Amino acid sequence: MNDGDLEAFLSLVERHRRYMYNLALRMTGNEQDAKDVVQESLLNAYLHLDQFERRADLRTWLNRILVNCALDHLRGLRRRPDMNNPRPISDVVETAASLSPDPERLVANADWRRQVSAAMDTMSPLERVTFTLRHFEGRSINEIAETLGIGNNSAKQHIFRAVRKIRCALEPHWSSR
Amino acid sequence: MSHLSDDELVLHYYGEDGPGIVAAERHLRSCEQCARAYEALAGTLSAVTPPEFVEAVPGFDEMPAIRQLIRDRSRGQSPPLRGSRSMLPAEPGWIAVVWLVPLLYPFSFQALFSSARLAQEQFVGMPLVALTLLWAFAGPFVAVFALNQMGADHLERASTRLLVFGALIAAISPALFVLVSRVSLGLSLWYGAITLGSLMALFHWPNTSHSTVHLLYIHRLSALVLTVFTVAHISNQAVAFVSLSSYTVTRDVLRIAYQQPAIATLLLWAVAVQVATGLAMGMKKVRAGSLVNNLQVVSGWYLAVFLLTHVLSGFVTNQPSTTVAAPAAQFNLLASARSTAQLPFLLLGVVAFLFHVGAYARLTAMAFLAEASVRRLSYAAMFVGTTVVLGIGLSLCGIHLIR
Repeated sequence: MNDGDLEAFLSLVERHRRYMYNLALRMTGNEQDAKDVVQESLLNAYLHLDQFERRADLRTWLNRILVNCALDHLRGLRRRPDMNNPRPISDVVETAASLSPDPERLVANADWRRQVSAAMDTMSPLERVTFTLRHFEGRSINEIAETLGIGNNSAKQHIFRAVRKIRCALEPHWSSR
Repeated sequence: MSHLSDDELVLHYYGEDGPGIVAAERHLRSCEQCARAYEALAGTLSAVTPPEFVEAVPGFDEMPAIRQLIRDRSRGQSPPLRGSRSMLPAEPGWIAVVWLVPLLYPFSFQALFSSARLAQEQFVGMPLVALTLLWAFAGPFVAVFALNQMGADHLERASTRLLVFGALIAAISPALFVLVSRVSLGLSLWYGAITLGSLMALFHWPNTSHSTVHLLYIHRLSALVLTVFTVAHISNQAVAFVSLSSYTVTRDVLRIAYQQPAIATLLLWAVAVQVATGLAMGMKKVRAGSLVNNLQVVSGWYLAVFLLTHVLSGFVTNQPSTTVAAPAAQFNLLASARSTAQLPFLLLGVVAFLFHVGAYARLTAMAFLAEASVRRLSYAAMFVGTTVVLGIGLSLCGIHLIR
């Protein structure tokens, strides 16, 4: 492929980049990892462009690559706990909160988000990715199973376990909210 | 209708309970207990909202970096992505280890033989036996740990391919060595095979992104056939730990069944299909950080070469395979340095089979059982498996409960 192909590819993916970053942020929980996952995904997408079927939707194809890159990335981070020093989602929210007009409510919100972020950190990579796709992205279990190349039952069980962990971690705080 | 379980409530919350959705809703209207449980679940889950969609990320423009990376890649360079951790080159240390294993393997069973001889005369030889056993059996285990360290670039990088192919050769060394030594007794063929393996790592392999769903179906079907035979065969080998005579009786009974032409053909078909479909899927399943997956892949690699050597060697060469060797010779593998090579070969075959089936069973069980139950079952299976392997190992060294 030449420079023209590369520029065409980059302009094609440009319109999906924001969505990809946000999805990666939801799956990984911190900005730097989200950026890394988007980079890895775009690089993989370009290198395997010949496998993109014309009848397929580019966004669906990019998302599939992104989800699997995020899963690999989360697994990689698990192997290197010493290198995992993420900036949690709650920090991002707190940055936004500082600009808002009702500081008390937003501080409580930021605290809640910190709890959510901590609860999600207890999940395994597959639990985290399947839960994000089901809960935040509204993807069906069938779709999640297909994207990740796992069975429907397996996807369901990962979501069940993720929900159990979320409930375990959050219900004590939720009742006091 | 009985009460809805927690999992059923989760499915209902997400609208994933299929045709049962109406019945579940009707039940929730009539059952106060389930309605309360559902309310608690829905309350928590509805409060778990995603972070706001970020419209523009300050200071984040990965396009120049991506552009540069792709250009570097097309020039044959492959620097790591900015800030990326999983794209770091495979650990050089692991690459060295996985290639050292096959290079030194031929000396391991000679050391095992000598240390076993020494241990028969002096107690001080026992630690040496333990060390040389570790050495001779290390290949597949080193491979699993090495694969866990690979980069997440799906064999794009030469360093990752070097690690994966090294892991492959290390994993299959005990079986490949027996196969190679049936053709030639010299070490030149062995080192030739290793050189070929290292050269294969230098080539960029065609992408294997094709769907393996159908292959997996055939693989599992043939595995079912082979598992029935293998479980019977392994049980027979384990019986040898009790006594050689009971082994011979069991073997003769089993042979009546599996030497029937139809069953023998079915088994050969199952072996051929297992090896072919396993090879087609083997590289695709390798994943950084996925220990169980990698365990299944490595045990699959070993089984492929083990089955080829163990079952088909009688057809390929004129030398008898271990399956038809006389019991006395078959259960005295420490008799010579050459026969000692059979010890890691055969025992790792049993271990690989147990891990391969066990890893699949564990992944399947995870879909139906709670994590704690799966863990308990795994421990129980590991205990049974270890006992079987130890029993077979001792019998292969000529140790039987009843002489």
